[in-house]
Amino acid sequence: MFPKIKFAIDFFICCWKGSAKYYAWLAFLGALSLIFFFGLYQQLTHGLIFTNMNDQVSWGLYESNFIFLVGVAAAAVTVVFPAYVYHHKQLKSIVIIGEMVAITAVNMVMLFILMHMGRVDRLWHLIPVIGIFNFPNSMLTWDVIVLNGYLGLNVVCAFYYLYKKYTGQHPNDKFYSPLVYISIVWALSIHTVTAFLINTMPPRPMWFHSMMPIKFISTAFASGPSLIIIAFLVIKRTTALKVEDEAIELLSQIVTWCLGLALFLAMSEIVTELYPSTEHSFSLKYLLFGKHGLSGLVPWIWTSFTLNIIAFLLLLNPKFRKNHKRLLIICIMVFIGVWIDKGMGLVVPGFIPTPIGEFAEYTPSLFEVMNSIGIWAFGLMMFTMLAKGGIGVLTGEIKYSCEPGQGSRRNKEPLVCHPFCSGHPGSTGKEK
Amino acid sequence: MSEEKKEIANNIPVPASLKQGEEENKNRRDFLKDMGAAALVGAAALLTNSDDIEAKSTWAEWFQKNYRLMSDEEKKEAIARLEQRYSEEYGKNVTVDNVPAMKGVLFGYALNIQKCIGCRRCVHACVKENNQSRNNPEIQWIRVIRMEKGNFSLEDTDKGYPAGSGYKSGDNTSYGVQVGGNAYKDSGVVLEGQHYYQPENVPEKDAFYFPIQCMQCEKPPCVKVCPVRATYRDPDGIVVIDYNWCIGCRMCQSACPYWARRFNWGDPNLPKEEMNPNTHYLGNRPRVRGVMEKCTFCLQRTRKGRYTSCVEVCPVGARKFGNLLDPESEVRKILDKKKVFRLKADLNTYPKFFYFID
Amino acid sequence: MKKVKLSKLYILAASCVLLSSLLIYKLSYSQNTEQPKTQQNEQPVTDCFESREGYTSVTRVENVAPKHGFPNVKCSQTTGGVLWWGDAYDGTIPMGEMPICGDYTCGSYEKGEDAVVRPREPQLKYFNLNPEQHCAFCHNGKMVPFPKNKKPRLLAAHQDIVADSLQLMHGRAAFWCLDCHSATNRNRLIDHWGNEISFNQPQKLCGKCHGEVYIDWRMGIHGKRTGMWVKGGKKRWWVCTECHNPHTVQTNRFNPLKPEPAPALPKGMKNADHEQSEHGLHKEPSLSSAPANPSTGH
Repeated sequence: MFPKIKFAIDFFICCWKGSAKYYAWLAFLGALSLIFFFGLYQQLTHGLIFTNMNDQVSWGLYESNFIFLVGVAAAAVTVVFPAYVYHHKQLKSIVIIGEMVAITAVNMVMLFILMHMGRVDRLWHLIPVIGIFNFPNSMLTWDVIVLNGYLGLNVVCAFYYLYKKYTGQHPNDKFYSPLVYISIVWALSIHTVTAFLINTMPPRPMWFHSMMPIKFISTAFASGPSLIIIAFLVIKRTTALKVEDEAIELLSQIVTWCLGLALFLAMSEIVTELYPSTEHSFSLKYLLFGKHGLSGLVPWIWTSFTLNIIAFLLLLNPKFRKNHKRLLIICIMVFIGVWIDKGMGLVVPGFIPTPIGEFAEYTPSLFEVMNSIGIWAFGLMMFTMLAKGGIGVLTGEIKYSCEPGQGSRRNKEPLVCHPFCSGHPGSTGKEK
Repeated sequence: MSEEKKEIANNIPVPASLKQGEEENKNRRDFLKDMGAAALVGAAALLTNSDDIEAKSTWAEWFQKNYRLMSDEEKKEAIARLEQRYSEEYGKNVTVDNVPAMKGVLFGYALNIQKCIGCRRCVHACVKENNQSRNNPEIQWIRVIRMEKGNFSLEDTDKGYPAGSGYKSGDNTSYGVQVGGNAYKDSGVVLEGQHYYQPENVPEKDAFYFPIQCMQCEKPPCVKVCPVRATYRDPDGIVVIDYNWCIGCRMCQSACPYWARRFNWGDPNLPKEEMNPNTHYLGNRPRVRGVMEKCTFCLQRTRKGRYTSCVEVCPVGARKFGNLLDPESEVRKILDKKKVFRLKADLNTYPKFFYFID
Repeated sequence: MKKVKLSKLYILAASCVLLSSLLIYKLSYSQNTEQPKTQQNEQPVTDCFESREGYTSVTRVENVAPKHGFPNVKCSQTTGGVLWWGDAYDGTIPMGEMPICGDYTCGSYEKGEDAVVRPREPQLKYFNLNPEQHCAFCHNGKMVPFPKNKKPRLLAAHQDIVADSLQLMHGRAAFWCLDCHSATNRNRLIDHWGNEISFNQPQKLCGKCHGEVYIDWRMGIHGKRTGMWVKGGKKRWWVCTECHNPHTVQTNRFNPLKPEPAPALPKGMKNADHEQSEHGLHKEPSLSSAPANPSTGH
C-alpha cells in the first residue's frame, strides 16, 4: 500500500511545483475559475434567472459547451486507439496526455451540467436506490452512466499506467489491456449517447435525424485531436517530454479526415433539409440565413464553416500539416470552428422556432459567458496540473524512491529509487 | 417531531402567529443541525441561509421521497409542512390536497377551434387559479396563437420563384417555375402564428386563434425522458410533476412537442393577495425556483368534480371538459358528433386534448 | 534575479485580469438583479362582466367562501372581464322545467342533475326601469298601445337596442320583434304557438328554430357550463342571450371584446416585429373568390 500513497503524494506535489511562469499561469486560471464558483453560488441561491435562457430557448451556452466537451472527451480515443490497437509507438509514449484531456473534459462536462441544472441540490435524486434512476427510459440516465463510467475508466487507466511507470514496472496486461479496449468502445458510446440525448426528440426537427451520432463523432474527432495537438505542441515547447513528430502527424491526419467527413455530413444535412424545404427545415434556415429578420447566429455559423473549410483544405496539404507553427494555427481554427458549429450552432437553433412556431432569439448573458469562461479556465488549470504530474512521471522526474526491494513482492522487477520531482525550470506544463 | 408539527399546523390561526412560527423555526433548525450533520451538503447549507420562512422546512423537504413512493403518513407530514409554510408565507389559510385520481375517470378536453376568439381569458384565468409566477419570470401555461387567414391574388399568379425566368425575352414573369407567387402566403404555413398579437378587439375578421396547452398525452414524451421520474402520468390521465423531486434538467421541456412546459427560472413572484389558497400537492401549490411546471387540467378542482378554470372562463364556451370513460360526458359527445383532430397526431403521443369544429 | 521580476509581472497581469473580470461580472450581475418588480397593488376591479359586455354584469363580493376567503369573482384589470369564479353558482336560480326530451342526453337531466341558470331579467335595462311591473308599465295597451299585427314598422323607442327596426337582420330579415316578443305581455317572450316564455329561459324560444344548436347546447357541446363537470353534479348552464345578442347576431355572433394582455416577450427579445415580417403584407385580394371563411365565432 505504501508505494501507492507515496505515488499520490509525489504526483500531487509535482502538480504544484513549477517555475514562476507556471505559477503565474495557474494563478491566472485559478482567478478566472473563481468566477465560476461565484456563479455557481449565485445560481444556487437565485436559480437560473441571471441567464438569458427562457422557456423558448431552454438550453443555452452551458448545454452547448456540454455537448462540445463530451466530444473532446471522446476524442481521447484518437490517441488511445492507434497507440494500443496499432501499437503506434510514438503515440503510446504520450497516450497519458490524451487520457488527461479526457479526464479534464469529462469533469468540465459535469461542471457545465451542474450549471445547466435548475436544482443542483437535488442531484441525489439521480442516485439509484436512494433516489430514482429512470433507466433505461430516460436517455439522460444513459448519459449519466456512460460519462461517469468513462471518467472512471480513464482515471483508472491513466493513473494505473502512471503508477506502474512511477514504480518502474510494466503494466499488468491482463488487467490493463481489457480496460483500454473497453475505454475505446466506451469513448464512442459517450458521444453516441449524447447524440441520442438530443436526436430522439421529434419536436426538434433540426436534431431529429439518424445522422446525428456519426456527425457528433466525426466533429468530435476533428476538434478533440486538434486540442490534443495544441497540447502536444505546447508541451513539446515547454517541457522535457519528448513528443515525436510522427505522433502529431498521425493526429493531424485524423483531424483531416474526420473534419472532411464532418463537412460532408454537414453538406448532406443542408441539402437534405433545404432541398424539399419543409417546415422542419426552419431551424436550419434560421441558422444559415436567418428568418423573419432574426439572424443572430448567421455570422457565427458562416465563420465556423469558413474556418472549417479553410482548415480542411490546408490540412490536405502536407506542407501545412507538417509545419508545426502552421499546424497550431490550423488546429485552433478547427477547434473554434467546431465549437461554434456543435455548440451554439447546434443547440440553440434546435429551439428556434419552438415546437409551436415561436421565433425567439437567444444570446447568452454576460453571466453565462463569464461562468463558461470560468469553467474553461478551471478545466485548463486542471489539465495543466494533471499533465504536469503526468509528464513528471513520464520523464522520470518523479520515481519511486524507497527502501530497496519493497515493491518486489509481487513483481519480479526491482524498484529503482529516486528523489522526487523538483520543480526545475524546464518543466512547466503550460497549455494553449 | 411529526406530532409536534401536526399540532402546530392545526392550531395556528395562521396569519396571527408569525412569532410562534419563528420560534418553532429556530427549534427545528437546532434539531436539524444535530440530525443533519451527517448529510451536510454544501448546497443544502446554502439554502438554509436564505429566507427564514423558506428555510423552515427546507431540510425536511430536501430529504423527502418522491411523492409516489411516500407512505400515507409521509404524505401527511409533507402536506402539513407545506400548509404551514404556505400559510405563513402568504398570510392566509392555505390547504394542500392530496386527492388521488378518481376511479373510472379519464380526463379529456375538447376545444372548438371555430369558436375561439383569441381573447386570452383562459391564459389569465389559469394564472389566477394555478399560482403561476406573475413576472420575472412570467409563467403562463396556455399560449394562444393568432393565425392569419391566407389570401390568394390574381397579380401573383404569374409571379414566383425564381424571378425573371419567363420564356419570352425581357419577360419578368416566371410563372412560378418552382414556387408560385401565391405560395408566399402564410395560409400555407402552419408554424407561423403570432403569439404577441394585441388588437383593439377580438375576434378579427382576417384571423383565427389557436390555444395550445398541455395535451396530457397518453404516451407523453416528457415522462419518458425524465431522468428521475419526477413527472409521471396519474391513472386519470393527468401528467403531473412532483415539484419537490424535479431536478430542473429541462429534458422534458425539449421533448414536449406542444411547448407545454414552463420552467421557474428564478424564484416565482406570486403576490400574497393574488395567491389561490385552495391547492393540490401535484397541482397549483406554489412552486420553487428551478423546477418545471405545466397545465394539470386544474386537478385541484377537477378531482373534486369541478370544471377547470379555463373552461369556466371561456366567454364563448369553446372549451369543453369531461370524463372520456363516460359516454354521456360532454367530451365523449363531441368525439361522437363532431369533427375532431389532435395536434401533431403524427408523433403518436395520443393527446387527450382534442380540437374540434362544428 | 531577472526571473523573479518576470514572475512578478505575470502575477501582476493575472491579478489585473482577475480584478477586471470580477468587475465586469459584478456589473452584469447588478444589471440583472435590477429587474423591476411590478407588484400588483392596484385595487381589484369590482364591476365586471361575464361574456357580453353590458349584458352580463357581476359585482365582486369579498369573502364568499369563508374557509379560504375567496371573492365571488376575480376580474381582469385591463378589460373588466371575469377571469375566475370563486362561486360558480353566484346569483343563480334553478333552471326550471326543461322542454321535451328530444335528444339522447335527456336521460342525465331526468336523473336529477342540478341545473341552474343566472336569471336574465335583472340584466335587462328597460325591464328593470320599473321594479314591479317591468315592461308592462309602459306597454300596457294604453300608454303604448298594443300593435295590431306583426307588420314591420319603425320603432318609436329602443333604437339603442335595434337601430333600424325595418332592417332587423335576425333570420335574414324574415323576422320581426313580435315574432319573439309578446305583443300583449311585454314582460315575456313568445314562441310560435303563442306560449309565453320567461326572459330567463330564452333557450326555449331560440331552440324552436335553431334546433341543431339547441341539441348541441343540451348535450353541452355548444355554449358554456360552469360548476361541476361530474355526472349529476350541479352545473350552471349559460343561456343563449348570455353570449349572443339576438338583435345583432347576424352581424356579430359574438360581440368583439378587448383581449387580455399579450404574454411578456421572451428574455432578450425587444419586440415581436418578426412575427409581422411575413404577415400583413397582403394586398386586398383581387379575386373575389377568396376561399370561403371557415367562419369563426363572429
